Amino acid sequence: MKKILILISAITALFFAGCIKELDIQPLDAIDASIALETAEDLESAIVGAYSIMHSGALYGTNLNLVPELLGSADYCQWRGTFQSYRQIMNKNMTIDNAEATRTWIAAYRAINVANNVLANSGKIQDAAARAALEAEAKFIRGILHFELVRLYAKPWNAPNTGPKSRLGVPIMLTPATNEATASIKVRRNTIEEVYAQVIKDLRDAEAALPEAREGNNRFRATKYTAKAFLSRVYLQQQNYAQALQKAQEVIESGKYRLNASVTSAFRNKFTSETIFELYMNEQNNAGTANDGLTTFYASLPGIGRSDVRILAPFVNLYQPDDERLTELIYIGTGRRPGSRQTGKWTQFEQNIPVIRLAEMYLTRAECNFRLGSNVGNTPADDINLLRRRARTTSLTTVTLDDILKERSLELCFEGLRIHDLKRTGRSTGTFAFDSPKLVLPIPEREIRANSELEQNEGY
Amino acid sequence: MKQLLTLLCLLLGTTSLLMAQSYTVSGQVKDEAGDPLPGVTVVVKNTIRGTTTGNDGRFSIQVPGPDAVLVFSYTGYTQQEVPVNAQRELDVVLAESGSALGEVVVVGFGTAYRQDLTGSIAKLNAREFEFQPVQTFENAIQGRAAGVFINSGSGKLGQGLNIRVRGISSVSASNQPLFVIDGIPVISEPVGSATEPDNPLATIAPEDIESIEILKDAAAAAIYGARASNGVVLVTTKSGRAGRTKVSFGVYGGWSSPTRKREWLNAAEYRELFTYAAQNSDFGELDAAEEFASETGTDDWNSNYDTDWASEAFQPGSVRNASLSITGGDARTTFLVSGTWNDQVGILRGNALDRLTGRINLEHKASNRLRFGTNLSLIKSLNQRVPSDNAFSNPLQLNALPPIQPKIDPATGKLNQNTLYYNNLIDLENGFNNATTYRSISNVYGQWDITDRLSFRSEYGIDWLNLQEEQFRGRQTLDGAPTGQGYSNQVNVLNQNVNNFFQYVQKFGKNFDLNATLGMQYQSGNTRSTSSTGEGLPNDRFTKIASAAKIVQASSNESAYAFTSYFARANVKLFDRILVGLSGRLDGSSRFGKNNRFGFFPAGSLGYILSNESFLRDNKIVSFLKVRGSYGRTGNAEIGNFAWRSLWGASFVGDLAGIVPTRIGDENLTWETTDQLNVGLDFGLFNDRISASVDYFDKRTKGLLLNLPLPASNGFTTITKNIGDMTNTGFEFILTTQNLVGKFRWSTSFNLSTYRNKVTNMNGSTIDGGSRQLGRVSEGQPFGYFWGPKYAGVNPDNGNAQYFDTDGNILDQDDFLALPDEKRNQIVGNPHPDFFGGLNNRFSFMGFSLDVQLQFVYGNDLYNIAGFFQSVNGDYFDNQSKDQLDYWRQPGQITKIPEPRLYSGNGAIKSSRWVQDGSYLRVRALTFGYTLPRSLTSRARMENLFLYVSAQNLFTFTKYEGYDPEVNATYISAVNIGHDFYTPPQARIITLGLNASF
Repeated sequence: MKKILILISAITALFFAGCIKELDIQPLDAIDASIALETAEDLESAIVGAYSIMHSGALYGTNLNLVPELLGSADYCQWRGTFQSYRQIMNKNMTIDNAEATRTWIAAYRAINVANNVLANSGKIQDAAARAALEAEAKFIRGILHFELVRLYAKPWNAPNTGPKSRLGVPIMLTPATNEATASIKVRRNTIEEVYAQVIKDLRDAEAALPEAREGNNRFRATKYTAKAFLSRVYLQQQNYAQALQKAQEVIESGKYRLNASVTSAFRNKFTSETIFELYMNEQNNAGTANDGLTTFYASLPGIGRSDVRILAPFVNLYQPDDERLTELIYIGTGRRPGSRQTGKWTQFEQNIPVIRLAEMYLTRAECNFRLGSNVGNTPADDINLLRRRARTTSLTTVTLDDILKERSLELCFEGLRIHDLKRTGRSTGTFAFDSPKLVLPIPEREIRANSELEQNEGY
Repeated sequence: MKQLLTLLCLLLGTTSLLMAQSYTVSGQVKDEAGDPLPGVTVVVKNTIRGTTTGNDGRFSIQVPGPDAVLVFSYTGYTQQEVPVNAQRELDVVLAESGSALGEVVVVGFGTAYRQDLTGSIAKLNAREFEFQPVQTFENAIQGRAAGVFINSGSGKLGQGLNIRVRGISSVSASNQPLFVIDGIPVISEPVGSATEPDNPLATIAPEDIESIEILKDAAAAAIYGARASNGVVLVTTKSGRAGRTKVSFGVYGGWSSPTRKREWLNAAEYRELFTYAAQNSDFGELDAAEEFASETGTDDWNSNYDTDWASEAFQPGSVRNASLSITGGDARTTFLVSGTWNDQVGILRGNALDRLTGRINLEHKASNRLRFGTNLSLIKSLNQRVPSDNAFSNPLQLNALPPIQPKIDPATGKLNQNTLYYNNLIDLENGFNNATTYRSISNVYGQWDITDRLSFRSEYGIDWLNLQEEQFRGRQTLDGAPTGQGYSNQVNVLNQNVNNFFQYVQKFGKNFDLNATLGMQYQSGNTRSTSSTGEGLPNDRFTKIASAAKIVQASSNESAYAFTSYFARANVKLFDRILVGLSGRLDGSSRFGKNNRFGFFPAGSLGYILSNESFLRDNKIVSFLKVRGSYGRTGNAEIGNFAWRSLWGASFVGDLAGIVPTRIGDENLTWETTDQLNVGLDFGLFNDRISASVDYFDKRTKGLLLNLPLPASNGFTTITKNIGDMTNTGFEFILTTQNLVGKFRWSTSFNLSTYRNKVTNMNGSTIDGGSRQLGRVSEGQPFGYFWGPKYAGVNPDNGNAQYFDTDGNILDQDDFLALPDEKRNQIVGNPHPDFFGGLNNRFSFMGFSLDVQLQFVYGNDLYNIAGFFQSVNGDYFDNQSKDQLDYWRQPGQITKIPEPRLYSGNGAIKSSRWVQDGSYLRVRALTFGYTLPRSLTSRARMENLFLYVSAQNLFTFTKYEGYDPEVNATYISAVNIGHDFYTPPQARIITLGLNASF
């Protein structure tokens, strides 16, 4: 009997012994959020992750280029693909469930959330310099994405104030969502002024602590000068020409960048000396080869692209016939929907995508110098002629503001600046005035449904 | 812990082994014909002490005293209780049971007698399907178990089946029941990478199965707790029997063909229809020949071909099966060794399944109190698979090709490459799609009968499955062009399971019988997979990725889960008539959020055997009458391994990898919960010649997993939470009758079931099936109801297709399309049946036997998505179903087929035009056999020889105009049930076979 009791006790002990610990199973193709950001290496991975979102078609990989181009499509380009979402953007009759407005909003805030997660955990980096650099990079990402959002989803900076609604910006997100509660917060839209102030604050902080340069595979990541170049863009959008000039000048003066010898070079090679911010692509990881990506939409070459965007004659005619930006960078399609004019900037799926080139800094410097009547760095005409000489076309002896703005569009066409330049200079596109509500994307329907605090834009 | 020990000690104390007066009783068990019955279980009532009869039907057993009662039970025979009455020699005759009341039923962690059950359990004995050439054992359940709705989906071999026990219990988690084989929960969900779900259960040889029990209500299933909401299917394999070594050998072979083929236009009809369609196109008066030429790049319009493409999809199917089993042993050791080879060639081109299984079941009694055993199985199967229904390479899609195009290109003498759509016969010549599975479902166990009343059993089991998918597409094929493509995927799944449990039986006084179980279960599952795709092979003779110039995809992954569970059950029988059952299970799983890691699943039940009351005891008519009811809770844990977690995963920039948040989790996320009420009545009349059961169930499921939208400004768009509710209610009715007994025997069993599903809470959201599908989930409606435009036929004046708006007005298509969404869409069908069931008749006379099983489904709607292409009055050049010839041609004509107008979309929008009644009645199984007289067989030293002819799906009666009404296209989301899209029909299989035993 006693033996039996002992045996039973033993069995029973076995019986209830801790299988409970076995219930704590971690996934192997992902890491639980509670332990994902522990070390400096983890945070470095997270920053790269934030860039990966920015590289996607929803952001710089396609939409932050294509949407501004199609919004300013009059006498410039035409969407003739099957995607209704882009067609609506070209026609300026977007519905509140427009797929592009929806995915760009979602992806931008996804990347901002990653940046905020890095900032919230940066204290785990022991090395002070490394910590400051990573924080700067996170602020850079957060800053430029808020800037992209406020430019697309709110009225222009220079639009007249016709009441509080006309100054609605986008929500400023500065804290990470790490659990259900923080992922469910319903925020309101900040004003345009508040958003720009935050953007400048983030980019100023970034500028101060980002490294001077990047090496090897890390060349897609922001440097001090990437922050300056973006600051230059932000100030220019605010018509703050003095600051825009200064930042452009600092970039040019740094000597870190040189114009490529040919106009095509930046679009055929990776990390050329001319690009200040560039998306890093390869055969496997790129913005898209079938239903997404600049090459898919812009190109028409055998087996590549589908000529969804073609260039219209009025724009092509702005070039002088000898301009290599015409002869080398605009071609007649030979692939899908052949026979139309296509931009030669986006022709390979695995090619990197330049977002800011040095040429833009020259153009900004020229414009600001002209507007301010100064000659910081160089005269406006010399800056313009630098680019014209590179394009093997005739130089201009004197320049007007119109010349500078025209040169800007000839040089930077199909690089995502179109509608922003039109808006800041108060120019209309077709029949749409620069501050038309039709040139502002709707706040996505799904977002309004999920967040009752959000106000929809005028006209939607 | 301490309390438990105390409790155990107490239990032991009260039972302190009174072994006095015990002595041995022996005897012989025979059947009604006077032949000895080996393998009969003999148990001393109210104890766990038992033995089995030897080959000569003899047994001997220690009984505690002269007033002991012995219980004799044997599958297929009525259980008998025989008081010892101080005798030492007992002879017993067991009667073959028609009614199931006396049979032993396997319940989770134990067995019970049918008449003592308070829960709802359906049972199938092997002999009910043993001579049927079923593809996979679940097929055998179809139409035989009340409350279990099975849809084979398609006639493809090795494809997953839909098995629904008492309706649909989930929107986003699994709806398949839990499968438990010899105590081990096994892999039953698809593990492969193909769009078409593979069926891991197709690796199991039906020949190895002794019985299948399906636990349906909470009282039966709650012992499986968080995994039991969809029902539990318990499979018990055959075991060895003591006695002379017995060899059984069975072989059958046969042919298979489609249950039905559809009729398509021949070349002349095709030209006629499309000539009309072209002339009446909205794009002006077109020339059919020119249009055909511009669409295909051929001048086949002017050729003389008349190709029957639809028939090219099929090949003559066949099945061959051989099985051998050897059982035997002595009083201490019994064994069963068996092997089965099954080779099926499908009716669909390129489809085959070849399966080889081996099994050893062994049990050894080390002493009167201690026994050990093992069930070992090894399986290899090779499934040559066919593509998903919606792939151009699906052979059935050949029916879309114009009959005026040739199969063989006369210019090259090879398969025609210039067809309207891909001539997928090229795929079969130039590629393969093989899925090889190695599997072992095995366990070892030990049972220690600590006392006559208390036993402890420990089981350790594994289910190991290795799936190797190998695909090759040559350079001529659609997917492999231009340089060939090879794909390899290796999946390794290992499930480990430990059961430890005590069983206790005790009779307290005369009127209180207790049967209790207490135990724990631990299970872990781990899945690893590695896949790669290579392109650029030297030529089509190189098919492996080693020869590929480019690796275009490669991946490896691993995932795991674990369950730790504790369970207890007590069944009490009072005054031999009142049954009380209580059970509870505590389930913890890695799948449940850390705030909700353990769930408790209790169930209670009551039964009252009225026929044991004095006022009914000697009733001439009513031989058995029981009412029973149960209520309890179960869960559905198939919610994904890590759904509750917030996760970060890899994301790439050029050659670099970073990490991003991939989901935000709800740390409270947990199982979906089902509370089920069941009331039932069992009765037997005329000495159980007629027996019947009626059940009513009411299942209320809450906490369905749904995605709740989040403000994306925080970084996430949705979170999965337990928020939805749905209900299922229904009736089940079973009637079994012994119509004739004696020399000519005739028995009938009939079952009929219903379920009514209703989604009651979706948090206000809806799930739509897609742009071409009609399935939808929304509050207040059954899961997957059909929602879309309602077709109203043809306007006799102009041949336009017409539709009903939501107010019931009939509008021409253009006017209809101008209406807002809410005016156009309405309920256009219900994919759930009003009722379903089966009718089985068994006749035997002088060695001849005939078994006919009918199966039926009534009142469900089917939607043929392919109607968009094949039954759309010549809108595009797809070949059309023959009924399209009845198209509108002149004003005043009354028809359902709109005027053909090439490219114009007349009647081509998604609508109820292709919704049809899917009811059917099928002669599911028929077996006619002859057992040679023993006088003959014994001369050949044979124990038994049975010759038979058998058929599956012999006849089908339906109004459905598609291939086969038992259909469920799989590539679309789970919301779209009852959809057909070039889905291959079922096979009609006719076999000849023999079974011999020595």
